[in-house]
Amino acid sequence: MLIKRPAGWEMPESQATPESVFLNRRQLMAAGAGLIAGAALPGLAAADTPDPTLDLYPAKRNEAYKLDVPLTAAEDAANYNNFYEFGMTKDIVDASRRLATRPWSIQVEGMVEKPFEIGFDDLVRKLPLEERLYRFRCVEAWAMAVPWTGVPLAAFVALAKPLSGAKYIRFETFMNPRVAPGQSQRWYPWPYTEGLTIAEATNELPLLVTGIYGKPLPTQHGAPIRLITPWKYGFKSVKSIRKISFVAERPKTFWEGLQSSEYGFWANVNPAVPHPRWSQASEQVLGSRDRRPTLIFNGYGEHVAGLYKGLENERLFM
Amino acid sequence: MRSATVNAALRSWLPWTDRQGRFSQLRGATFALLLVPALMLLYAAWMHQLGSKPWTEAIHQTGTWAVRFLIATLAVSPFRRLFDWGKLIGIRRMLGLAVLAYVLGHLTLYCIDMAFNWGLIVSEIAKRFYLTIGFVALLGLVALGVTSTDGMIRRLGGKWQKLHNLVYPIAVLGLVHFALQSKIDVTQAVLMSGLFVLLMLYRGLYRWKLTISIPVLIGAALFAGLATAVIETTWYALTSGVSARLVFEANADILTYPEFASVRPAHWVALAGLVVALVHGLRARTSRPPRRARQPATA
Ligand code: HEM
Repeated sequence: MLIKRPAGWEMPESQATPESVFLNRRQLMAAGAGLIAGAALPGLAAADTPDPTLDLYPAKRNEAYKLDVPLTAAEDAANYNNFYEFGMTKDIVDASRRLATRPWSIQVEGMVEKPFEIGFDDLVRKLPLEERLYRFRCVEAWAMAVPWTGVPLAAFVALAKPLSGAKYIRFETFMNPRVAPGQSQRWYPWPYTEGLTIAEATNELPLLVTGIYGKPLPTQHGAPIRLITPWKYGFKSVKSIRKISFVAERPKTFWEGLQSSEYGFWANVNPAVPHPRWSQASEQVLGSRDRRPTLIFNGYGEHVAGLYKGLENERLFM
Repeated sequence: MRSATVNAALRSWLPWTDRQGRFSQLRGATFALLLVPALMLLYAAWMHQLGSKPWTEAIHQTGTWAVRFLIATLAVSPFRRLFDWGKLIGIRRMLGLAVLAYVLGHLTLYCIDMAFNWGLIVSEIAKRFYLTIGFVALLGLVALGVTSTDGMIRRLGGKWQKLHNLVYPIAVLGLVHFALQSKIDVTQAVLMSGLFVLLMLYRGLYRWKLTISIPVLIGAALFAGLATAVIETTWYALTSGVSARLVFEANADILTYPEFASVRPAHWVALAGLVVALVHGLRARTSRPPRRARQPATA
């Protein structure tokens, strides 16, 4: 049985990562010693045990997705990461290791035939893993190109069986300020939330990524499972996904909550639409001093331009 | 004989000597400290420790240190009086020139980071408000730097002070540039702005000829802390979608959740002000009577 009911010995997520910690610190203080003792745990939890999905890597490469730019060195991709849960700098590798990525389950809810929770290790074995070489473009005007391993999001959507009323898919990451100090900045709309239209989600490009460079994802890249939408700015590609909901209303994303005028819902890459504070016309190649021109939809126009017919009034590129 | 005078002139110019050409511990230590961030940056670059975008990282470090040293420069005059520490003036020019040096390094690194694409560099500086004001600040610092020599001070006479009062608007431009370049988090910029406010308060105290006492200084510290919280809240309210109330309230978290993460810029600024009050109190006690004691009888 791959679709899992929460077993008795498993803490429901709400209990493992109390939102009250974030919402109301007075409660935390009241909870007192119990939580303080618990705070010592996450540091130990960082997985040194072998990854149970190791045998799946490297996955077969899907040759349909080719690059016309050089691959980024693994080292460069691994050491320049935005993961605000673990700090505001790009150097969050060590901090992110506190995230315990096992046990990890994903809750699927909202407008689906039957809501369920599925263990990550079950999910990766249920859907076909493949490797794809994709360009990646950050809104901060840097870019890379890496081999991701993952499953097409469309295959996951098929598994989830959304109802016809579902128009959007909403992704949510974990919530645990004890492990992720950034989350104790209480005015941020944690947990990190992102969304796509169902049409975008069922396009062939978006991947639910579980690995990079032929290995399971390290924590700084959003282990154990994250989204990759290569035609959109990187902040759309939510990391360490815990919950996937199918909804009728457009979800309000983390960055929209922070600064909707600069980081919107659509966030499609476009060299002609500058960020209010910098040009998007060119991009810096990670690990080198080279700049190259930015491409519309980050070079994936032939796959995705059609998704936006009739949406010209939306702020598609912000 | 002649070479001796040249030597003496040179010696009084060295960053570790005083005007008489004697070694000055204060100036020597300051000079060494000013070099530390640059040397550490060079070392990190040499060791490939600057990450995947090393030039960008270097831009950030030089910018951050430029602002820190600018705040330190502005602290010289008030601290001189508050701590009855006349010699402090001997490091002001050096600090100011260090700010200029770091800012010039900052701009050079930016040009390198932009792969010397001059068209892009010029158009970005012209188009992006945060770069435009950074550039104006840089021009101002250059103007202050070239007029910082003894000769220029003599030549400009009374106009010199007027010109060099430009350092205050320059600092404001630098701080706004700092805040604007951040993607969302302005903690560091708010901290530096709060310290700037604190130093401006000290200036105000002297300008309005208020009696400097420990209670007054404690009041200034708390007021500057509050001002910092207000600046932070206002910034988020104006530039982001986050709840201003939550930002402001976060300053009270320290009471219910005494942890390092709860220490906000407002607290640091107030703490800095309290330390100043404390040091002022200690100095006032030990160096009494203030001037006469130190005047040598033969003079
Ligand atoms: C022509 C003048 C200047 C240019 C082109 C320039 C450019 C830049 C750039 C590109 C950044 C990084 C932005 C990013 O990565 O998104 C930056 C950051 C910064 N700059 Fe400047 N800048 C200039 C002048 C100044 C001046 C005069 C100061 C200070 C007095 C200053 C202080 C800073 C600071 C503190 C930061 C932020 C560092 C950090 O948060 O890590 N800059 N500047």
